[in-house]
Amino acid sequence: MYNFTFHRPTTVRQAAGLLARNPEGKLLAGGHSLLPVMKQRLAQPSALVDLSQVEGMTGVELKGRSVVIGAMTRHADVAKSDVLKEVLPGLASVPGSIGDPQVRNRGTIGGSIANNDPNADYPAACLGLGATIITNKRRIAADDFFTGMFSTALEDGEIIVKVSFPIAKKAAYEKFKHPASGFALVGVFVSKRGPDIRVAVTGAGSNGVFRVKSFEEALAKRFSPKSIEGMTIPANGMNSDIHATPEYRAHLVGVLAKRALAKATA
Amino acid sequence: MSVTVNGKPFDDQPAPGQCLRTFLRQLGHFGVKKGCDAGDCGACTVYLDGEPVHSCLVPAFRAEGREVTTIEGLAQGGALHPMQQAFLDAQGYQCGFCTAGMIMTAAALNQEQKADLGRALKGNLCRCTGYRAVEDAIAGRRDTEDARPGRGVGHNVPAPAGPDVVTGRARFTLDVAIDGLHHIKLLRSPHAHARIRAIDKSAALAVPGVVAVLTHEDAPATLYSSARHETRDTDPDDTRVLDDVMRFIGQRVAAVVATSEAAAEEGCRKLVVDYEILPAVFDPETAMQPGAPRLHDKGPQARIANASRNLVAEMHGATGDVAQGFTAADAIHEGTYFVPRVQHAHLETLCAIAWIDESGRLNVRSSTQVPFLTRLELAHVFGLDRDKVRVFCERVGGGFGAKQEMLTEDIAALAALKTGKPVKLEFTREEQFVGATTRHPMKVTVKIGARRDGALTAIEMHVVSNTGAYGNHGMPVLEHACSEAVSVYRCPNKKIDGYAVYTNTVAAGAFRGYGLPQTGFAVESAIDEVARMIGMDALEFRRCNVVRKGEPMIGLHEAPDDVIYGSYGLDQCLDLVQAALMRGDGDEAPPGWSVGEGTALTMIDTVPPGGHYSDTYIWLEADGTYNMTIGTAEFGNGTSTVHRQIAASVLNASPLAIAFTQSDTDHGGHDTGAYGSTGTVVAGRATQRAAEALRDKLLDFAATQSGVDRAQCKLAGDAVDCGGKTIALGELFRIAEAFVVDLSAHGTTNGIPRSVAFNVHGFRVAVNTTTGEVKIIKSVQAADAGTVINPMQCRAQIEGGVAQALGAAMFEEVVVDTEGRVTNPSFRHYRIPAFADVPHTEVLFARTSDELGPFGAKSMSESPYNPVAPALANAIRAATGVRFYRLPLKPDRIHAGITAAG
Repeated sequence: MYNFTFHRPTTVRQAAGLLARNPEGKLLAGGHSLLPVMKQRLAQPSALVDLSQVEGMTGVELKGRSVVIGAMTRHADVAKSDVLKEVLPGLASVPGSIGDPQVRNRGTIGGSIANNDPNADYPAACLGLGATIITNKRRIAADDFFTGMFSTALEDGEIIVKVSFPIAKKAAYEKFKHPASGFALVGVFVSKRGPDIRVAVTGAGSNGVFRVKSFEEALAKRFSPKSIEGMTIPANGMNSDIHATPEYRAHLVGVLAKRALAKATA
Repeated sequence: MSVTVNGKPFDDQPAPGQCLRTFLRQLGHFGVKKGCDAGDCGACTVYLDGEPVHSCLVPAFRAEGREVTTIEGLAQGGALHPMQQAFLDAQGYQCGFCTAGMIMTAAALNQEQKADLGRALKGNLCRCTGYRAVEDAIAGRRDTEDARPGRGVGHNVPAPAGPDVVTGRARFTLDVAIDGLHHIKLLRSPHAHARIRAIDKSAALAVPGVVAVLTHEDAPATLYSSARHETRDTDPDDTRVLDDVMRFIGQRVAAVVATSEAAAEEGCRKLVVDYEILPAVFDPETAMQPGAPRLHDKGPQARIANASRNLVAEMHGATGDVAQGFTAADAIHEGTYFVPRVQHAHLETLCAIAWIDESGRLNVRSSTQVPFLTRLELAHVFGLDRDKVRVFCERVGGGFGAKQEMLTEDIAALAALKTGKPVKLEFTREEQFVGATTRHPMKVTVKIGARRDGALTAIEMHVVSNTGAYGNHGMPVLEHACSEAVSVYRCPNKKIDGYAVYTNTVAAGAFRGYGLPQTGFAVESAIDEVARMIGMDALEFRRCNVVRKGEPMIGLHEAPDDVIYGSYGLDQCLDLVQAALMRGDGDEAPPGWSVGEGTALTMIDTVPPGGHYSDTYIWLEADGTYNMTIGTAEFGNGTSTVHRQIAASVLNASPLAIAFTQSDTDHGGHDTGAYGSTGTVVAGRATQRAAEALRDKLLDFAATQSGVDRAQCKLAGDAVDCGGKTIALGELFRIAEAFVVDLSAHGTTNGIPRSVAFNVHGFRVAVNTTTGEVKIIKSVQAADAGTVINPMQCRAQIEGGVAQALGAAMFEEVVVDTEGRVTNPSFRHYRIPAFADVPHTEVLFARTSDELGPFGAKSMSESPYNPVAPALANAIRAATGVRFYRLPLKPDRIHAGITAAG
């Protein structure tokens, strides 16, 4: 590893100030995506602003008809939340499927969303539930937040503080894990909240997480796996890498959407 | 910064950018290992305020004011933590490198998590065990027996290093604190083929802490091979310590020596290299064509078979007349099979420490399977007298053949000799993929014909092996690939052509199975197809056609005279697997999935050809216990346990009464090395002979002293029983000392002649035809290991071999792009099997006893790997109707295959 400065602010305001003073700096949440790429020098921030001592950025709370999760809440803590398990089990199942126990003891929801890894699970959950990402500056709808592979609508100096998930009556996540690693080769999050029907896909798209409008329209009539029976999405635009072909990923989107729908309507 | 580690306060400032893992090692907690440095393997798992974390991904500063627990702090008040005791009782480890992290994770599990170990242990990788022994440990099963007199051969004696392994005290290669240790980092080539015009070192030398920059100008001109064999002529002399020609992306360009790892890295980045780019070739068949870029412009003294065609070796052999054989066939299958590059992925990366001692002697502490051969080659390359070089290893964190290669010791020696400083070189996980070795990728075209009555009529095989940029192991791997996979079948007409070809890619090398997994995949798949064509059960077809005891074994040629049937248990192995599959037990197939069964076999010579030597020295100590030196290295294969058992059986002593040191060229004698599955059959034989010689000496002397007839004297634990009169061994020692009688002995072996061992694997799989997912619902392997000296350990060897082979069969592949670059050089993208990926394998042993091996034992470390991929492919063929010709058998490929077949 190379030399860089390490800052440990205790408030969001201090963190934002440190970011402003270190334009080449980066925020450090759990660090499980950032630190490996720093070790490979694929990222070389001059400063890290550690958010782990910032107050008020953790916890899972029920607020009205939403669940609000602090950005620095670790995957292990989200997975353990009784509130979440009760009101939004579809979301509660997501963090427990991320990485491994050691990763879940460090990794955070805010870090995952800000990184927007094309194979990450949380972006699918945010988009699939129509979450709102709350930063130190504004509220951003998930539909506007994820702008492409590893890129988001976050501006310089903007810090995710919490994420608000509306409680959907029906919601579920299904992922096809990489044959051995825990990443999503393809993951599909489906939800129905009144007329708002969402099918969000991670892992498959060459431009990151996306919604499948054709499936959503078909599901408007009836929220059931049967409604999308025989439907496929084009392989065009699907990711191709050493782990799977675009055709296979496109095929899995349909398979997993049906599995998720079956789970959500069970 | 203040931090509490294992209850003790430390006040120390981490370096900027330092992670907790290196910080803890700096404080002396060597139980915290590096397997990947990227949060993928779990070898560095420690607790932060009681919770397991990957310490390589925790900035050291984040530990401020917190409580850190490492493996060294797990035992409380002198008593082992129950999980440490459980790993001892079940011997939940082999090399032990992952064990500290594994125990840390396991010790933090609650009952609910223990019920889902696949999920709970996902962050801890083990490459040796196949996880069965880990599962046994966590379940509280006891697989070991107490060591006591009479419990030698045949008993589940625990490994001697157990207490050190489970407490983190076991010293692996880099687990030593050395004053003034300097660090070496390597600059590696970004070009697949290039000539170095110039290297500007000035900026690198100006980096604070950098003490030397070594390039081809500093390296000896002597050519050698990184492969180590008893006869150095086995491999071509095509390698320099540092060369001025780059032949693959990742080849070492220069070595920077500095006072810190960071300074050495920075020095590498500051080197300015002027390259003349040369045309490169990546496909072996293209490389063989006239006019292809030539990799090695070397004369006949380099022993390259045909340098102008990039052939490091070629071989051709035939018996009978294959054309006639195919004419006589009722069914013929011909197919071209491909086995890609896979990596050993031992958890301890390649590493070495070198220094010059007061007497001017070069010392190398290395992670090696071949200390003695490495010493000889270092002496050769650097022009040193062999007495001026010492090579040794302590505990080695896995090898699987990768450490039968000199890839760090040469650079470390050069740096130590040039700077006079103690130096360390440690490969990163990325370097393991881009700059170490892999399995030889092979394209194997096989054509097999048979008559309707089940008799084979002809076997033809054409093998193209990609040896990469260097020819280390290229010839012998090809030779092995062209032998037992075919010679196990009785067939009057055979023809084999093999080529090992240079390409501008990372070099291939020795890897468990040594060529047989590649050709075995092709031949055993083809045998399955032919059996189908003639409507015969594949196991029955094999039973009709395999060689039987005494019959000639003909591959390329009739087997060399020194391969004999020291015992024969292939028939039993076939029966055992058939019976196990017919039993119908195993997991239920998920509803709607297609089910199929498949089998495959392998035969392997128990010792490599050309002689394999070992020496053991054993002596009686003053306290009446025994001590010995053995040459062979322990890298998780369990041989140190076995050697103690062998000596204990001969001397009728408790295995615990036999101390030993091993794998150090200072101990005298010679040892060819821990490769070719020889740790038990060759080195163990030396130990048996040494122990027998000592037993005879002890009994002779006791008989003389007691005046009792020699025939009435026998060893009994810590005494000699002379016709009812007992002389304690300690007493015997004192008497001998007084009479100046030497109570020590020596045993030696040369590995000639050799025997054959057998394995048969069977799978029942379920395939989800919608997604291409495969679930193994029954796995069984029968092994003919001769006398099984330690059933628990031998079973674990087989389980581990099966697991490693399953990784290669199902998802592992080192992917090289069209520019010759490895695109997945990390565990996150080259994923080795985790706990959840490995099914239970039922391990069954044939009942045989070999006339050559110690106490009738045969080799059993490589061969369990060999039949796995073809057995799996055959099972998938049965389930889906589709024959797959290429590994790995990934879901997307299976789905595409099923879709294409309609």
